[in-house]
Amino acid sequence: MHRFLWKGIIRDRSRSLLPVLVVTIGVFAVVFSYGYIQGMLDNMIRTTADFQTGHLKVVTRAYLENEEQKPNDLALLGVDTLQKKLTEEFPEVEWTPRIFFGGLLDIPDSNGETKAQGPVSGTAYDLLSPGSHEARRIGLQQSLVAGHVIQQSNEIIISYDFADRYQVRPGDTVTFFGSTMYGSMSFANYTVAGIVRFGIGQLDRGAVILDISDARLLLDMDNATGELFGFLPGGLYNKEQAEHVKESFNRQYTDVTDEYAPVMVQLADQDFMGQMLAYMDIVSLAMVILLVFALAIVLWNAGILSGIRRYNEFGVRLAMGEEKKHIYRTLLVESLFIGIIGSAIGTALGISLCYYLQDHGIDYSAMMDSVNMMIDPVIHARVTPELYFIGFIPGVLSMLIGSALAGTAVYKRNTAMLFKELD
Amino acid sequence: MKEKEEVVGLRGMMKRFPVGNGFFTALDQIDLSINRGEFLGLVGPSGSGKTTLLNIIGTLDIPSEGEAFVLNRSVSSLTPKESAELRNKSIGFIFQSYNLLPVYTVYENIEFALLLQKNSKEERHKAVTDALEWVGLADKAQSRPSQLSGGESQRVAIARAMVKRPAIVLADEPSANLDAKNSHTILQTMRRLNEELNTTFIFATHDEKVMQYLKRIIYLEDGKVEKDSVI
Repeated sequence: MHRFLWKGIIRDRSRSLLPVLVVTIGVFAVVFSYGYIQGMLDNMIRTTADFQTGHLKVVTRAYLENEEQKPNDLALLGVDTLQKKLTEEFPEVEWTPRIFFGGLLDIPDSNGETKAQGPVSGTAYDLLSPGSHEARRIGLQQSLVAGHVIQQSNEIIISYDFADRYQVRPGDTVTFFGSTMYGSMSFANYTVAGIVRFGIGQLDRGAVILDISDARLLLDMDNATGELFGFLPGGLYNKEQAEHVKESFNRQYTDVTDEYAPVMVQLADQDFMGQMLAYMDIVSLAMVILLVFALAIVLWNAGILSGIRRYNEFGVRLAMGEEKKHIYRTLLVESLFIGIIGSAIGTALGISLCYYLQDHGIDYSAMMDSVNMMIDPVIHARVTPELYFIGFIPGVLSMLIGSALAGTAVYKRNTAMLFKELD
Repeated sequence: MKEKEEVVGLRGMMKRFPVGNGFFTALDQIDLSINRGEFLGLVGPSGSGKTTLLNIIGTLDIPSEGEAFVLNRSVSSLTPKESAELRNKSIGFIFQSYNLLPVYTVYENIEFALLLQKNSKEERHKAVTDALEWVGLADKAQSRPSQLSGGESQRVAIARAMVKRPAIVLADEPSANLDAKNSHTILQTMRRLNEELNTTFIFATHDEKVMQYLKRIIYLEDGKVEKDSVI
């Protein structure tokens, strides 16, 4: 019987084409959306981790409580020792200090007088230590639009928008005004090494970059850092692995009586990332439920139309002695075949497009100038194992549900009318 | 001489249909006995009860009163599963409009009738080949219904009804859509099968061409048997 059903599906396009198309489109939409959302999420996680949070980070308990203010007066001290311990205990994690600071940047004219001043938010990275991956991590070389990366002390990198607004060029000398971690005023002259454009609005508007050693001098933070970032192997965030490291560290180092005691948090604990990750899970689930629901309704209607078209066929089969439940079962088997075909095609198309966009990405730079999110404007899709079933199973399921609903019409057929209906 | 074996027995059988607040009596006190190997027709004007009677003999409907026995089974007491099984194994149907399944070949249309009987592929092949030879369409086995003439289509329908070698074949106006030549061809075919396989053929018809071939004619009028004549 299955061979017969299969032949019917293959030969009768009106029986199979519309449902296959509907399932294919629906499954493709889910697979592609899921892959692209995963890519976008990865992008946000990676960008946020690289620039703002790390996969893990160690700060003081007091710093953590006021984290949004980036309070360097509550910075970690004795960082060299702490970093060494962390490297010994968690050798798979790369630990690197970061200091976030703010101040004014003074731009002199040709006479050395102030030409312009503007507020800047600075980040200090470990750029000059041998073996540091920080420059590569934040894509400094690729983001340069003029000049070069920091190669020595007293060099500064300025964001493109700021440099453009105040006509700053590589080689110019600028003066930074800020305050030390102890609250005293501090200032220093720097040579502009390069101009960068990350394509991330938040960074391109008014950011400056210093080497960590210069920032420590400027802010009087010798052997101190605001935050000590940890990056998991390969630069890939893994929530469970990060949680394991965090719990292991906090078990050992947490001291609730000391507000300067180090405490470790992971990416999902920080800012909006935890909520974002949970939100994306809900979005994915909602998308799948919506697919099943919407497709089932469409396929229910397609099934009813098909049932009308095959009215005589079912009548003949009933007359020949096929039971109603057997006809109903064959409809379900047919829908299973069709669901599998449509879902397989939809999944293959969706994954193919995701593979393509995983390599090429779509550039949203023009639309993201004013976006305040840490996200790379070139958004890539990401092919994950989930893509192989996230659309496939709902596609088959919705086809079965649609046919199960439409097929109940077989049970309403009155056999006493068959001779009249079939003549 | 063959011993008479009753395949259909109707005793005081009535069939009523609800109409508005009352009932319409489609069959009224029918007493009939039909034996194996008969070639008979139910003849009468429209509304005389021919098709209703075929429905009951074909276990597609049940009587309102009285008894209807088909192959010694009381139609009223059959469950839907049992009546389907009886139709599947012992009753063939031929319709006025052929009702072949358009997506399947001639061979597959005939084979379809055997699928529910769980026969082996070889058994099915033998049965289908025989059926195609009975109706003279062996060369059309791989044709689709759309490639056949009306006469050929009805011959396929006959083969489909006969392939499982049923005890009874019910045919409702089988020649109504055919010209005279094709009508005679299919009637000759059915008559031959009736004689060779001892299958009981019961027609519902008012076609003179069909009546020429019948061995027994039961005239129905307003749901009653007006005349029962053996020719």
